[in-house]
Amino acid sequence: MVPGLLTVSKNTKRSIVKAFFSVALTLAVTSAVFLINNINPVVAFIYMFQGAFGDINLLSETLIRMTPILIVSLGLAVSFRCKIWNIGAEGQLYIGAMFGTIVAIGIGGGPLSLLAALFVGAIGGLLWAAGPALMKVKLGINEVITTFLMNFVGIYLVQWMISYPFRSPDTYFPESAAIPSTSALAVILPGTRLHLGVALALMLVPAVYFILERTTFGYKVKVVGENPEAARYGGMEIGKVIFVSLVFSGLLAGLAGITEVLGIQFRVRGSLSPGYGYTGIVVALMGNNNPWGVALASLFLAAIMNGSSTLAWMMNIPMGIVDLMQGLLFIFVLASEPLVRFLERRGVLKL
Amino acid sequence: MIEWLVWTGLAAATLRVAAPLLLASLGETIAERGGLLNLGVQGAMLVGAFSGFMGAYFSGSLWIGLVSAMIGGILATLLFGILVINLDLDQVVSGLAINLLASGLTLYFTRLLFTGGVSPYLGDLFGPLMIPVLCEIPVLGEVLFSQTGFVYFGLISVPLIHILLTKTTFGLRLRSIGEDPVIASYLGINVAKMRYAALIAEGILAGLAGGMLTISMFNTFDPRIVAARGFVAVSIVILGRWNPWGALGGSLLFGFTEALSLRIGILFPDLSGASMNQLFALLPYLVALVALVVGGRGVRGPASLGKRMGRER
Repeated sequence: MVPGLLTVSKNTKRSIVKAFFSVALTLAVTSAVFLINNINPVVAFIYMFQGAFGDINLLSETLIRMTPILIVSLGLAVSFRCKIWNIGAEGQLYIGAMFGTIVAIGIGGGPLSLLAALFVGAIGGLLWAAGPALMKVKLGINEVITTFLMNFVGIYLVQWMISYPFRSPDTYFPESAAIPSTSALAVILPGTRLHLGVALALMLVPAVYFILERTTFGYKVKVVGENPEAARYGGMEIGKVIFVSLVFSGLLAGLAGITEVLGIQFRVRGSLSPGYGYTGIVVALMGNNNPWGVALASLFLAAIMNGSSTLAWMMNIPMGIVDLMQGLLFIFVLASEPLVRFLERRGVLKL
Repeated sequence: MIEWLVWTGLAAATLRVAAPLLLASLGETIAERGGLLNLGVQGAMLVGAFSGFMGAYFSGSLWIGLVSAMIGGILATLLFGILVINLDLDQVVSGLAINLLASGLTLYFTRLLFTGGVSPYLGDLFGPLMIPVLCEIPVLGEVLFSQTGFVYFGLISVPLIHILLTKTTFGLRLRSIGEDPVIASYLGINVAKMRYAALIAEGILAGLAGGMLTISMFNTFDPRIVAARGFVAVSIVILGRWNPWGALGGSLLFGFTEALSLRIGILFPDLSGASMNQLFALLPYLVALVALVVGGRGVRGPASLGKRMGRER
């Protein structure tokens, strides 16, 4: 038995309890919404669960859904630890997908095309975050505003690119040409659509954990986020840490975008992402900016998304339920912190 | 002659398009002067647009729509108040949470209430209110005196809010909270109450800003109707240096860009052609970013802006 493996730190325990409260409260309010609409919430949640995990196909679809969410939110976890609120992941994702797709098509298939596409996609996301990062570090302009505005610039730009210069000649709707089939991420479970991107995303979890917990950069990120004064006295180059953590989150957002293209969609469409960049914000916070927590949270959100399509089909509940649950989850993730603190003070909860 | 009419139309459209930005940025100015960085203004606008539309649609009365837009806006800013005033949570993250909850709620209920998830059109809308006599003045009459009530209300609010913030006890107290809430509370000012008052004012203005999109401009509701207007309003507050007149200037700048981006094809036929549409659409956001780079460097807002009270630590 490795010592320390089973001893859970107080911090970890708190995050687990907080996540538990946020999920419970979200399900409670969602149940109330179901009841108002004369829907049995227990039946609804069972359908949701079945829709997400019911058989090997549904399970692999949920893992496919988890992939872009996980990659995006791992990056966001790094910038959020630094208290840098990148809410531009959606635009960074689209730009990454577009850049990578152009390269994949340009090289024209084969492993080199795949690797180059992944690389350039990630760089595209990084570049899209670099502008707000520079504005933050050099001019002190709030990154929340600039990253959000860059979403609109990026998404309109991609829409223009798939409508004109990079439009597929043989489709009616605006979309890019398809990537060569030899550039695609291989299917890893025959009979399903589960692709190599899932493995890539899962490998990133320990990688980001390592960066955050075992490198000087990770240490600096934490200090700058928790105590900028101490960081300044300690002689850290705060600007540099902020810049790197913000462009790193852009890098992963871009990677998420191109992975989605290479693994499952095979071309860039206007509907490439149903808001993964925003879902990632909730996921990163729910996972307490810890990669393992983020992995569980992204599986949970992916399950809600996929489960809700079964729900829509079986019980005629609109798909918007995903967005509603996501918003509730966000509020309760935040509120769980004072709630746990309150319960601890009252002695109800001992951690 | 035709070109002249286009330019007059552009000026009138600038004011029309600027109005929601003006209302929202005035509201945000009030909140930020009290030290609350409310990014949830975006969500408050969305809830205002939604509740304004629903109120008008289901009652058949635009006036009920107007009132429910304000109520919706207030509910959104009050929820923000609970998160940051009572629970002392991070303002930025709480604002984002409000935005995501607002889009979730409006999307879900739009899809629940209307088949296909598409809102119908309202039979009626708040159209332009011609100011007698003044609207007959050439050019100026069309630009300034043939607008909707929302535009007039926004314009009149500018000096009123300026007086409120600089000349009244309320404004003085609010600004002292914005500089240092702890000292303000030592001086006997009820910080929570004052901040809630500021948020209610912001809720009314942001609710109207959103409501005017549905019951006066577009006549229907779409969950994406607010676009990035709330965040643009927050940028305007920075560019306008937390001052209502500055908010007016900033709103006109963005109103002009947006109005222009819709008319580039008419004004400059050489550039026209559908092939540029999306590029024109991204122009206002690009201008907002450039304006922040040029005008937003090194500006300092109220000292406590965005900070937690930190009672518990």
